[in-house]
Order: sequence, then C-alpha cells, then structure tokens
Amino acid sequence: MVLIIGGAYQGKQRYAKEQYPGLVWAEAGTASEEQLLQSGGILDLQDYIRRQIEEQKSVSGLAERLIRNNPDAVITVQEVGYGVVPVDRTDRIYREVTGRICTCLAAYSSRVIRVICGIGTVIKDV
Amino acid sequence: MFMVVTGGSGSGKSAFAEEQIVSLGGNSRIYIATMIPFGEESQCRIDRHRKMRQGKGFVTAECYTGLSGLAVPEGSDVLLECMSNLTANEMFQPDGAGENTVSEVLLGIQNLRKQCRNLIVVTNEIFSDACPYEEETREYQKYLGEINQAMARAADQVVEVVYGIPVYQKK
Repeated sequence: MVLIIGGAYQGKQRYAKEQYPGLVWAEAGTASEEQLLQSGGILDLQDYIRRQIEEQKSVSGLAERLIRNNPDAVITVQEVGYGVVPVDRTDRIYREVTGRICTCLAAYSSRVIRVICGIGTVIKDV
Repeated sequence: MFMVVTGGSGSGKSAFAEEQIVSLGGNSRIYIATMIPFGEESQCRIDRHRKMRQGKGFVTAECYTGLSGLAVPEGSDVLLECMSNLTANEMFQPDGAGENTVSEVLLGIQNLRKQCRNLIVVTNEIFSDACPYEEETREYQKYLGEINQAMARAADQVVEVVYGIPVYQKK
C-alpha cells in the first residue's frame, strides 16, 4: 500500500497519477465502499469518510478492510488535522476519525509520501 | 533530555510520546494530565488515553493550571500531555494566568526540567487553517505558537508525528 498525504490543493492527485500511471482511480467522494476495496487507486479518501459520517454511517473498521481487501492500493488523502479544534461536532468527528484511519493505513503502508506544493517527500519507505 | 512532540489531530502523537518515555527505562514515570473533564467528548478522550497508558507504569498527576508550582519526584521521567490544553486552561480558566499565559507556562516547563530526569511535552499543530477566527482564538494560536517556539529552542529533540511516522524537525 502507498499513502499519499498533504494539505488541500497541493497536487496530491497529479503526483499520484504521475508516479503510478496505469492505475484505475476511484473518486472516494462518490464511490461505494465496494469500489474502494477493488480499485487500484483511491483519490481523496477523506471525502468518503466525510460522506459516511454525514449520513450517520459507521466507518469503523474501514482501514482494516482496505488493508485486507486492497493491500496494494495507492491512496491519496488530505491532511485535515492541522487547525484549531472545530466548533461543529460533525467536523470534529470527521477530523479525528480521518486521522485515526490514516494512522492505521500509514502503519501498514510500505510507502508514505507527503506532498507540499506538488513536491512529494517520502516520509516512510520500507 | 527534553523532547517536544508535535503533530496534527489524530496523528498518533500520544502513542509515540508514551513509547519514547517507556523506552527510557526509568523507574519513575509521571504523566501530567491537563484536560479538564468538561463533558461527554472530553471524558471519552480522557478514557481513551487512560486505556492507552494502562500497564505502562505511569503515575498520573492532574495539572490544569499553575504548572510552575507543580512538584514531581526528583529524577523521574515526565510526560506532559498536552500543551494545547494547558495553554487554553491558563487563558480561559478563572484561576488561569490570562494574559501572562506564555510566561507562566514556560516557567512551568523550567520548573519541571529542574526536577525531572527526562521531559517529553506533547503539543499540537493548530496553525494551518484557512478560515479566519475570532480574536480570542487567534490569540490562543499566537500564545501556543510562541510557547511551541520557545520549547523547541530549549529542546534537544523536536519531533512531528505524521500519522504515526516520526519526522524529526530537530535532532
């Protein structure tokens, strides 16, 4: 598994497609979980998490299912935990849950890349 | 040894900091808890952290304000978690330091360093938002930013934990 992280509008998606050409990419904002579990590439995983939380569906075990069913996936996801604790409860849950899921995926990933200004820095490579 | 552990929300900072303290192998471990149990959410958070610490040999000392007056056992390994709570407490609690928050907190850090063998402080990156905040929140960011910078200058190591991965900013 490869995890490509970074803030909004940093060129994560472009970087991912350049570095991993030939993958079929699922847009997590609109995809079903089944599609995420089958797709070689996943874009904006945070949007799937956000959608589930807003629809009051559980995302518990999502990281584990991705690892089990899609262990070679290349995943882009936005870092959303670098601001002040949000006032809105849903925002707080979304921010926290996204962090926990990413921490779990990062622990499993053989490679974690952080993209800033379109430039990727490998922060884990095993 | 003085280490500052920072990172975003849900990034695995605590797990990393606890691991570091345990790996120092000392025989007295103190955990300074700073979160006031306000409501259901903070209670859940506190419970989660307690569970994580279980079996790691920590003695917990609660300190919501007034770190400069806290006594810890001589030569202990101290983990303070977290600076973002302590700063908010000093700013907004009735018995807090208010506008003197930065100096009070930094005095508190000095006070700990005089007593303990090793100190690890967990703090928080809350500085990269796009939305404009109220004056009060901006001041909070400013105070915590100043505290983080001052701690980092004094620290032997500064580690940003990114989803469980340590990225050393100072080593």
